[in-house]
Amino acid sequence: MAQATVQASKEYAIEEFLVRSEPYYRVVGDELELFTAAYNQHIPVLLKGPTGCGKTRFVEYMAWKLGRPLTVVKGPRGGKKKQEVEEGEVRVPLVTIACHEDLTASDLVGRYLLDANGTRWIDGPMTRAVKAGAILYLDEVVEARKDTTVLIHPLTDHRRILPVEKTGTIIEADDRFLLCISYNPGYQSALKDLKHSTRQRFISIEFYYPPREIEAEIIARESGCNAESADALAKLGEKIRNLEDHGLQEGASTRLLIYAARLMAEGIPARRACQVAIVWTLTDEEELQRSIEEVVSSIFE
Amino acid sequence: MTNGPLTEIESELAKLPPAVLEAYKEASPALESAFGAEELTLWAKEGLSIGTQTVRSWESAVEYYNVGPQVARFLSFPSFMQWARCGTYLAQDSPTLAVAFFKSSASIVPNLRPQYIPRWAGLGRSLYKGTWKSSTLAAKFFEVSPDLVRNLPFWDVEVFASLIEALSYKSYDVASECLILGKDVLPAMGREREPFLSMSRALIDTSWREIKTCLELVPRALQHVEEGQTGRFLKLGERLAKVGLRDTSRFLSDGTQALARVPQGSQGYILDQCETLLAVSPEAVPPFLKSLDDVLNRITVNQLDAWFQHGIGLLKDNPESGIAFFKIESNTSESMLETLSSSLELDRVKGIIKLYCRALSGSPIEVLTTQELVRKNIGWVDEDSASTDGTKVFLPPVVDHYTNKQDNFSWFKVVSTHQVAHLEFGSFEFEFDKPAAHFINRRAEMEVETEARRTQELKELEERRTILAQEMAERQATGDLEVEMQLAGQQPMVPEGQIALGPSEAFTDVGRFLHLFENRRLAFDLFTVLEDCRLDYRLSMEYPGIRAAAGRVQNESLTSRPKMQELGVQEALVELLIHMSLEQFTELPVPAEYEDAATMLAQILHELRSVLAQVEDAAEATLRAYEIISRIENETKPEEEWEEQDLEEPGDFSEEEFQDLIDKLQAGMDASGEQSDGEAYDSPEPVDYRGDFKPEMVQLLTRLQADAGEQGEGQPLTKEQLEQLLQESAELELDAEQGEIDNNMTMFAQNIMKEAGTPPPNSQPGQGYGPLLHDDDHGGELEAKEPQTYAYDEWDFRAADYKPRWCIVKEKTVEEGDLGFYNDSLKNYLTLSNHIKRQFELIMPESFRKIYRLVDGEDLDLNAALEAWCDLRMNVPPDDKIYWHRNRARRDVAVVFLLDMSASTAEAIDEGRQVVDDRDAPDDPVEYMVWLRRRREGLVRRNYKRIIDLEKESTALLINALEAIGDTYGIYGFSGYGRENVEFYVIKDINEGFSDKIKRRIDKITPLHATRMGAAIRHAISKLENQEAATKIMFLISDGRPQDRGYSREGVEKEYAVHDTHMALIEAKRKNITPFCLTVDKAGHDYLKSMCGDMGYEVLGDIWALPERLPMLYRKLTI
Repeated sequence: MAQATVQASKEYAIEEFLVRSEPYYRVVGDELELFTAAYNQHIPVLLKGPTGCGKTRFVEYMAWKLGRPLTVVKGPRGGKKKQEVEEGEVRVPLVTIACHEDLTASDLVGRYLLDANGTRWIDGPMTRAVKAGAILYLDEVVEARKDTTVLIHPLTDHRRILPVEKTGTIIEADDRFLLCISYNPGYQSALKDLKHSTRQRFISIEFYYPPREIEAEIIARESGCNAESADALAKLGEKIRNLEDHGLQEGASTRLLIYAARLMAEGIPARRACQVAIVWTLTDEEELQRSIEEVVSSIFE
Repeated sequence: MTNGPLTEIESELAKLPPAVLEAYKEASPALESAFGAEELTLWAKEGLSIGTQTVRSWESAVEYYNVGPQVARFLSFPSFMQWARCGTYLAQDSPTLAVAFFKSSASIVPNLRPQYIPRWAGLGRSLYKGTWKSSTLAAKFFEVSPDLVRNLPFWDVEVFASLIEALSYKSYDVASECLILGKDVLPAMGREREPFLSMSRALIDTSWREIKTCLELVPRALQHVEEGQTGRFLKLGERLAKVGLRDTSRFLSDGTQALARVPQGSQGYILDQCETLLAVSPEAVPPFLKSLDDVLNRITVNQLDAWFQHGIGLLKDNPESGIAFFKIESNTSESMLETLSSSLELDRVKGIIKLYCRALSGSPIEVLTTQELVRKNIGWVDEDSASTDGTKVFLPPVVDHYTNKQDNFSWFKVVSTHQVAHLEFGSFEFEFDKPAAHFINRRAEMEVETEARRTQELKELEERRTILAQEMAERQATGDLEVEMQLAGQQPMVPEGQIALGPSEAFTDVGRFLHLFENRRLAFDLFTVLEDCRLDYRLSMEYPGIRAAAGRVQNESLTSRPKMQELGVQEALVELLIHMSLEQFTELPVPAEYEDAATMLAQILHELRSVLAQVEDAAEATLRAYEIISRIENETKPEEEWEEQDLEEPGDFSEEEFQDLIDKLQAGMDASGEQSDGEAYDSPEPVDYRGDFKPEMVQLLTRLQADAGEQGEGQPLTKEQLEQLLQESAELELDAEQGEIDNNMTMFAQNIMKEAGTPPPNSQPGQGYGPLLHDDDHGGELEAKEPQTYAYDEWDFRAADYKPRWCIVKEKTVEEGDLGFYNDSLKNYLTLSNHIKRQFELIMPESFRKIYRLVDGEDLDLNAALEAWCDLRMNVPPDDKIYWHRNRARRDVAVVFLLDMSASTAEAIDEGRQVVDDRDAPDDPVEYMVWLRRRREGLVRRNYKRIIDLEKESTALLINALEAIGDTYGIYGFSGYGRENVEFYVIKDINEGFSDKIKRRIDKITPLHATRMGAAIRHAISKLENQEAATKIMFLISDGRPQDRGYSREGVEKEYAVHDTHMALIEAKRKNITPFCLTVDKAGHDYLKSMCGDMGYEVLGDIWALPERLPMLYRKLTI
């Protein structure tokens, strides 16, 4: 047997989930400085960019980077906070919520539950994040229902409060709390969009796939494949992205390129790895598939 | 009764069997009223004479009397008697015949001209040969003739009857079967009847048994043959029958099967081939048709000709092997099919290659055939070489280098990769002043030198001229003509063009570079091979996957290179570079004398084999290679002076060594003196896979296009300047007479300007629209006088007010065309149409689904109730919306689709910028009208898809889907010319039910004139306004910005139209209508933003996506 350590699953309360080890993130521009500045100034951040270009990884990285003496919130009940500081560890909690069409305000804020003794209030993830002073990351925020975006408003201006209607309380956010949302403008249609009243509460950091050399570096680092393959994959990524607007809805994400690289690192032949990880994933359209495969077969032997 | 003769006749009749008299008595009152007494007598008498002809002829007489009254209604008395006499005559021969004749008469006379009656009777009579069988046949003929006569022209009946008669000599049974068959088959035949009959006629002598089978087969068979081709097809059958082909029925069935197999529209072509074949060898036709099905399974109709011609050739030499060929029973045939079927047509893979090129280059490249490039006539002349003009890649239409499709495809791939490499690695981005990566910049230095040299030369020339002029002036007195001629001889030596265009005035960087060299051809050839070498190396580094295929193509190119030893030294050295660029570095023959020159060239070339090398490096390399080669005489060397060299590792290039070499060569040159023993330098054979490289032309085009884009900026190039540029370009090969070159230059210049978008002089847009112009822009209000016309205001954004009653909209219903278009569209997009329909049908359950959290409803919403219960317990005011209900929101949508039917929608998609329309439009007003009408009727042939075709197909798909959900919808098209003439076409009125009529109308949607959107939108609003639906949507589908004559302020401001359209859309919004604009104009973003404001719009990047996108958008909008 190999000596590989097997990671067993672990369970965390959401606000206790910490990014414990440094996530790999390759800084491309000044996003690091921008985010840090915004965090210090309590300015919410909107991350724009296509899928798989590193938005989530960036937030994780920032959560790790911006950490300070670890804070663990004991007990689920709100109100009084008992804080415990473990020396030496520097971390910030990260609460990630993937938004979908059925996500309601009470899913975020919390709701009453009936139990044998009567009713019991349960905090929603947003409430918990606000109390714990976490980075609250709402992924794909346009997908959420309109009423949820309204919740965001008082949290994002100078007030930094979360009114909980049901309990008749108002929670002032922990000083370390930061709201961060992501949004993919790739869908050109004007049918789904953020309202301006919401948008204008954030600073926007735009993400795009990194330039070829950096992307190659990322691929090599993430997958452990050799530099040559990583280079070729980055090149492939660039070429495929040229096809956006020519039938392809979205170009190959860095994530997909990494998948292909990982398969290759496992010994899958390059062309095949690209086929399953990239070509077939990107599109069902036959002609497009063939064109991309031709690009793949030009780049890989 | 005092009528003597009648009584007499009656008593005579009484002697015959009683039925006769009864029949007579019954008929006579009716006839009495029709004819006079005398005539009545004649009628009665004729009956008597029929009855007394033979023993059994009384039966005929009974029939005669029976039908009398009916026949009399249609015939005048003389004709009537003629008819009767025909009967008498028949009764003489055979009473059975007469009976049949009379029986049919009642139903035949209404359809038969009286004068044909005797001929008709004669036809029956001629079938009768005195035998029992023949009388049955003849009687049968009379029996079926009413049907025949009713449905066929009489002469066809005659032909048919004579066919039957001819057949009856062979067999009565077959004849009578055919007679019965013919009755049903012939009427249905239409135009092909005549050729069919004559074909059958031809069969009588050779194979009469076939006729019956043919009759049985023909209706089914001809279904597969296109209308208009049937005649030819049957004619072919006839001619085959005449030359003695026995198997006509096989011919019919095989032939129709084969014809059914070929794509629409090419049946005529197949028949052409059959006719050709018939002329050579009739026996080969049936095998050809029989094989066709199989052959077409393997190759396309376009490829068929090659196979066919080969067969014809064989047939002429040796008929037997020719027939075996067409039966595909010969090796030649088989292997020929093999080759053909492995060849690859560009059309089949164009889509893939296009996307491939786009991916590599990152720019929206189009892929076209080289023929299309040559047709543009802008300087490219070779139809076999791939090329690029900077925005498009041109490839040969067919590749058949290899014996399988895969290899042929990879050839395409290698070639297109090479062409794209020119774009990807910047061949056309050459900048004269940009430094190279591996060489010191010597271009600037060279330029100064060249200029100085040229000025010097010019000066010397001037001096000589002055001297000569002086001499001439001196000698003129003495009348010495010699000097005059000498002077005249000097004139062409003044290269005016070259001097007029100094370095700073050179129009393109490549031009400026090539201008440095005396022998431009040599310089250009060197630049081509060195740049191609750089690209091929770069490609093999960037795209390792293509190395194998490229390597193979390179090796093949090597095998077809000429032998260096037979070339002049200059040419051989260029060839040497080509070999090295094709990756051959060993065993290269070089004259011993020039060994170090060859090594130096190899060193120079090796500098380009680097990923860092730029196009400027290729230029610097060219410069150096040129300096070497131009200092060598282009003479042929004897075989023994050549030695094979390995130049794999020539060592690094150094400027010092280079300079030494140059000095050495120069010394050699100087030593050999002025007289040269070499021949003039000639360009090497092109390397075919690399295609045509024309950097100067591409830079020129790009520059011209840029100039056309920003009008007024700087000095645009005049046509004369352009012509001169072309004259000097080394890229244009024109081995023609001088005059012809001049002509070509003029033509090229004109075409290039057109291609670049600069209108050629003296053509004013708008000219030739004469007849339509009758109301000017400055006029006043218009009035809607005619029915179905409406007047609308128009928004003038400068005045910030409406121009009252400014436009007249004329509502018209689209003509009905063919059902086929609608059905074909659905068929072509079967998967998509099913998909869309399913998607739409899913909307229905959506409206039936449960709605939660309502104040009242069918039942408690458990989640909500529980929450409310919690709230109550916690003393929080609970929400009272705790019920759910089904189907509360009924779908209530009314929508209007507005289709752009402007002339620009006739633009071909995917054919580059080949605009079929306006540029083809004749200038002459009368011709224009004719052209317009022809185009409207769809008479102008086309085999490409236009924007409007996609609009139509999308409409068909949409209708199909809309019918599934039952929304109220109207479909309209708009076009027009001028404000008094906005045409609003109804395809489906909003309150009109769906029917075949509407399907037919879709077929007739055609591109017309201009687009005055505002007025059309306003009229569409009026359609929607009266609808009671909760959601009202207006869907505008266009292909460009709104424009029309006078749809701009003072004729210049295009914004006027955009603003008016914007205002119209706002009006819609005010009336609670949601407008949505969908455009296929890629440049749409700039004006749509201002046109639609905050209203929804979408720019469709890929027009082919229209049929798919339109219904999807609609669905999204209405949920």
